[in-house]
Amino acid sequence: MEKYPNKMTVCDVSVHYGDKRALGGVSLDIPENQIIALIGASGCGKSTFLRCLNRMNDEISGCRVAGEILLDEQNIYAQNVDPVLMRARVGMVFQKPNPFPKSIFDNIAFGPRIHEITQSEAELKDIVHSALERVGMIDEVKNRLGDSAIGLSSGQQQRICIARAVAIAPEGVLMDEPCSALDPIATAKIEGLIEALAADYTIVIVTHSMQQAARISQRSAFFHLGELIEVDGTSKIFTSPNDPRTENYITGRFG
Amino acid sequence: MRPRSLLRYYGQNAVIWTFIPAFFFLIVCAFLSSILLEQYFLGLIAEAYPDADTANRDLLFAQMENVALGVLSTEDGVLQSLATDYAEFGNTIQRARGWLVILLSLSLAGFAYLKAMPQFRARESVEKVLGGLFLSSATIAILITVAIVASLLLEALRFFDVYPLWDFLTGLHWSPNIAVHADQVGFSGSFGMIPVLGGTLLITLIAMAVSVPVGLLSAIYMSEFAHPKLRNFFKPTLEILAGIPTVVYGFFAALTAAPFFRSIGLSLGLDVSSESALAAGAVMGVMIIPFISSLSDDVIRAVPRSLRDAALGLGATRSEMVIKVLLPAAFPGLVGAFLLAISRAIGETMIVVMAVGTAANLTFNPLESVTTVTVQIVGLLTGDTVFDSPKTLSAFALGIMLFVMTLGLNVAALTLSRRIAEKYE
Repeated sequence: MEKYPNKMTVCDVSVHYGDKRALGGVSLDIPENQIIALIGASGCGKSTFLRCLNRMNDEISGCRVAGEILLDEQNIYAQNVDPVLMRARVGMVFQKPNPFPKSIFDNIAFGPRIHEITQSEAELKDIVHSALERVGMIDEVKNRLGDSAIGLSSGQQQRICIARAVAIAPEGVLMDEPCSALDPIATAKIEGLIEALAADYTIVIVTHSMQQAARISQRSAFFHLGELIEVDGTSKIFTSPNDPRTENYITGRFG
Repeated sequence: MRPRSLLRYYGQNAVIWTFIPAFFFLIVCAFLSSILLEQYFLGLIAEAYPDADTANRDLLFAQMENVALGVLSTEDGVLQSLATDYAEFGNTIQRARGWLVILLSLSLAGFAYLKAMPQFRARESVEKVLGGLFLSSATIAILITVAIVASLLLEALRFFDVYPLWDFLTGLHWSPNIAVHADQVGFSGSFGMIPVLGGTLLITLIAMAVSVPVGLLSAIYMSEFAHPKLRNFFKPTLEILAGIPTVVYGFFAALTAAPFFRSIGLSLGLDVSSESALAAGAVMGVMIIPFISSLSDDVIRAVPRSLRDAALGLGATRSEMVIKVLLPAAFPGLVGAFLLAISRAIGETMIVVMAVGTAANLTFNPLESVTTVTVQIVGLLTGDTVFDSPKTLSAFALGIMLFVMTLGLNVAALTLSRRIAEKYE
């Protein structure tokens, strides 16, 4: 297997909600410009882990994160790191499409505007157009950029959300079950899109669909009861996993 | 044959038939018999005292009732014998009524017993009765509202018989005192509502200028910034403010706020009235703060968590998230909350009665004294009043105006909050 440099390195991360341990001692490498899938049963901590990667857990009161997560060799939980700027480098796409109740244009321009990526309206337009091109939606919506994003289908809404995330040119994109609320056709479109995005972005995706993990990811990490059981090349995980628990999960014997 | 309903429904059906019709019968009987009794004895009184007029007969009837109850004694032999008859009649009717009710109850119980056959759909029957009960409760509330509006409207129409509606709506002069004697001067009786309405609007405006910023910002703080523990302290504390009786706000406005604003004004070289609109409006604003903050808090928290995540995930700070995402998304609901608060301020009475004057100055200077619709209504209807003079009737016309304004605002508020709910479905 090809060796990629690591974009993010996770060292011994554990997460507590109040007194309850949600995740313990996870160490994991996230290679650059690859897709890594996090799989496991509901409640196993994979979404919690995902939210650690751009410090979204900071927003949950009572949540404590211990350990180190390096983004390009810089610990994102260090004192001097501003989580707000950090989140601009690692974007996030959520389970349920969550466009703002604003126009399509304003949705995608939201990030560039708050980070003042550009001052000129013309450049902003270019950014929005290229983000829409990136998600293959430019022809669908270029004549109605002023319409509300709420009126789109949920598949389109999710692609708007992806476009919104890539519009601020992040280095990584975290996706929390981005297809679980979508029908199979929309899912197929989003999967194709994720694979194409991997050329430029490091992608971490949480998924409940084993087929989806197998189809699009290069690496897979299996979580079970708040622990990382094993992480390896996806084909290895799906054909000859090391741990019997992984095999049980993949073959559907529990969960 | 198997019963068509569960056994307990047959029992419930029997209970309903036994008690509910008898209960309503009792109420109707009590109502009717007292009316009949009164009419009958008023007739007897008219015969016994041929020279008494209507008011006197009513008085005699009341005396007779009291004699019959034993709280009054009389030397008048005629009245005494009438009272004895009245007491006896009353007793007989009461006894008859009691027996009738028991009879009705028992016969309906028997009817229900006979009806309790396996093929009788007892469950449907019970459901229907319960449905009717809920419906009638809802109807009572609506009917009472209609009755209130109707009585207001009837009196107001009597006012507009003697005073033209157009003059009332557009007149710039309000002085409701009317000459009782022909030689009194300065009691012209002029009913132009504009100065009164202007005073209400001015005070409402001041109240909103105080309560909207404070209420909205504290709601944002509580829902987005405060630690849950702090929120659990702030929210109930703000609600204490809502529990203070308005009369307490009233004397706070009259005795503390008004002199305070006056002395500040004097030190700045401004002439502030001791009944200034500013003092009443500011205190009213304080009263509305918890109302606005609690409604806005609900509206803001109704914005889905996912939108907050979306903004924060894009690297927005909390305040960017609040200003660029939460407030626009919550805007219709917030406007609805403000409109409700405005309608409350317009209808608020106690504070302004205590802290505001009665002279209807047409001014938009908050340092001067103005009067409000509610103050005028209180002034017109308290003390010695004659119920057919335009002065008294004008209170009902003002009442209708108040009602129309608050109704309009409430409808607007409801429509807006429904709009925000639809947006996220």
